Amino acid sequence: MAGLQYVLKRLALMVPTFVLVMIIIFLLVRLLPGDPAIAIAGDKASDADLAAIREKLGLNDPLLVQFWLFFTNTLQGDLGRSIMMRTSVSSVIIERLPTTGFLALFAVSLSLLIAGPLAFVAALNRGRWPDTVIRTVFQVGLSMPVFYIGLILLTFLAAQLRWFPVGGSGDGFFGQLYYLFLPSMTVALYTSAIIMRNLRAAIIEVLDAEYVQFARAKGLPNRLILGRHVLRNALISTITLLGLSIGNLMSGTLVTETVFAVPGLGRLMLEAIFARDYPLIQGLTLTFAILVSVVFLLTDLFQSLLDPRMRLT
Amino acid sequence: MTRTLMAAALAATTALVMPVAAQERGGTMNFARYDGSRLIDPIYADRNPDIWMVGSLFDTLLRSSDDGKSIVGGLAESFEVSEDGKTVKLMLQSGLKFADGSALEADDVLFSLDRARNGDLGPWSGMLGSVSDVTADGNTITVSLSQPDPTILSMLATFNTAIVNKDVFEAAEGATDQEKSAAIFATASAGVGSGAFYMCGFEQGASMDFCANEHHWEMGADGKPLPYLDKVHFEIIPDDATRILKLQAGEVDAVEFVPFSRVAELDADPAINMNLYPSTRIIYSPINTRETRADGSANPLNDVRVRQAINYATNKDALIGLVLQGAGQPMTAPLMSSSTRLASKLDLYSYDMDKAMALVKEAGIEAGTKVTLTTLAGSSDDATIFAALQQMWAPLGIDLVVEQVDGATRGAKNRSGEFDIHTYGWVDDVNDPSQVTGWLGYSPVRNAVGTGWESDKFNALFEASGTEMDQAARAQQYADMQKIYADAAPLLFMYETPFSVAVSTAVDGYVQTPLGANIFSRATVSK
Repeated sequence: MAGLQYVLKRLALMVPTFVLVMIIIFLLVRLLPGDPAIAIAGDKASDADLAAIREKLGLNDPLLVQFWLFFTNTLQGDLGRSIMMRTSVSSVIIERLPTTGFLALFAVSLSLLIAGPLAFVAALNRGRWPDTVIRTVFQVGLSMPVFYIGLILLTFLAAQLRWFPVGGSGDGFFGQLYYLFLPSMTVALYTSAIIMRNLRAAIIEVLDAEYVQFARAKGLPNRLILGRHVLRNALISTITLLGLSIGNLMSGTLVTETVFAVPGLGRLMLEAIFARDYPLIQGLTLTFAILVSVVFLLTDLFQSLLDPRMRLT
Repeated sequence: MTRTLMAAALAATTALVMPVAAQERGGTMNFARYDGSRLIDPIYADRNPDIWMVGSLFDTLLRSSDDGKSIVGGLAESFEVSEDGKTVKLMLQSGLKFADGSALEADDVLFSLDRARNGDLGPWSGMLGSVSDVTADGNTITVSLSQPDPTILSMLATFNTAIVNKDVFEAAEGATDQEKSAAIFATASAGVGSGAFYMCGFEQGASMDFCANEHHWEMGADGKPLPYLDKVHFEIIPDDATRILKLQAGEVDAVEFVPFSRVAELDADPAINMNLYPSTRIIYSPINTRETRADGSANPLNDVRVRQAINYATNKDALIGLVLQGAGQPMTAPLMSSSTRLASKLDLYSYDMDKAMALVKEAGIEAGTKVTLTTLAGSSDDATIFAALQQMWAPLGIDLVVEQVDGATRGAKNRSGEFDIHTYGWVDDVNDPSQVTGWLGYSPVRNAVGTGWESDKFNALFEASGTEMDQAARAQQYADMQKIYADAAPLLFMYETPFSVAVSTAVDGYVQTPLGANIFSRATVSK
């Protein structure tokens, strides 16, 4: 019951967050230099054409009127019509969301699959060569830009060895697994480096904790100690980091989806910004804000499951 | 390096000497584009990724000849202009059909031309400003003009006058013309056009498919309707490196807009043909010629001698080497590319540092005079141009600084005059120099590409050329306009660049025209 109340409270708290996001993004896109009418009609359009487009889009209305329209329409589930796509913003987002969602989940899964075991190996071999090798390799991954990692993977694994397609998103579950492996791996290599470093440090800290020493002294099997006591406690801070990483990953899709030609929300956001497509930028930002808020909520819930001391209040 | 002069002409010539049975047909050509189409409707297409695809889906009454120098028949098998230049009669071919098999008739032509010249609809209606009426008698279409118009045949060969299916269009969902157009495009509706292809698949921003129109009127070398291909599949891949990797991995058959820094590498690949198609694209930089800048400070570029000096101090060959790896040529016609009709061939500010130094001395330019070059953020070409110009102009006492913005901001600055110099480019949409001349020099239209330059003599010549039916007299008017413009130097005249398209060696017959249109009707892909 307490858990449900907590979730409802958190959901209620999201409302002012979203209103704030709406105000900020509404003002920010209008502070951008550049005219959406030019983005629509092109540089060759006459001043009269541009004036007509501005009037049609309501860009000549006072800012307050424009915001109120955006706000009330959004509350009714209407995010407006995309200027460049000439269709409703919601339909464009719904069309692209599954691809970005799949990419994000795939990347997180790969990050955990890579970082988890290696963090254990490094922590259990603290100061020895496996630890040094693992940390050095991940340091390199961390210091390379995402787009560069992506291009290296594309060049060798796709263009030369032809194990994977160069770009696109694929159809169906297995098609997407195949097509989105390289972009997911690109993101995962960077994210796993952060997670690995954090998890390794947490494991080392827990391994030195008195309750672990006590468990050892009691003669508990090593497997049980690592699984029940070490991993569970070490994961608490890592889950927080993972939640934050997913937030970063959303913005990372701007680069990854462009390099890998994945038609997702990140690439769409970039196109919308260049086209000064106000409704689409606003709709996408709100979508990202909702996704990140939901991820943060799930992170907190998961943490409370791992650590009963973290009461849901 | 394959310098494709006019592959369509080559394809046609080859077709004549090849045995009929050898003609390859069928298959899909996979084409990687840098940007996707958003609306391919003749009257609403306003971005190059839209405009350059119109011709594949919609036919025009007339067409540009393969060499771009004259106008030939299209849907209209013959045409004639009256002696007073105020009437054009066009005879439609018989038996024309749209892609859904329905008949293409005079009603469709009237409907399409009325849409095209409706000022409340698309942005191109001004191009048919001289048309007062369009009527039909059987298969004969009469276009009446309010005044003689030397550009009318070119306009009837331009994408915005392409013919759409009246019945399909009127039956489409939506209350307004715009809504109907968007509905037809969104549903990839067959039958709205009579081009060599119809759109049979579309995923906004991701992919697009064109399927062969089996009812197309134009015949191939084997006596069957063009196109040879069953389908063209387009993938939208904005990143240059990824697009090229797709071609190298064999996942696509062609990629457009290959960066010039990669041309030599792809040319050396035996599995790839690196094509540089001649284009009407020019790269230039408008110069703010106003007396004061937008912030009220004195503008050194208001002095024509300074503008001439920076033109002389710009080593165009060096720029072409740095930016295009040699794949270009300096501008010689001040208002247009040298391949455009009526283009002058001038010695347009060949590199001469002595002349440049003398001019700035005469103009009294002080050392350290700040000039800002506005460039596109993220454009490696623009970054190179800036670095080179900064070095080239330093001896003149000009301290060139850079301001990086995105395309929308640059466009806004151009309109408001808040710039000193900025990079820019142009590709003709019409097979007539009036469009680019109006854009760059005629001040009532966009302040002579935002420069603020104004010449009464130039404007008068331009207006007179709009009704001049005598070809020789019109050519002289254009020669005079180009001379005036060159002397005034409201631009930094830079270079002409080709369209760079890399195709697999399995591909043959694909062409990009000087106006940018992608032509797939005679393309084949070896199986």
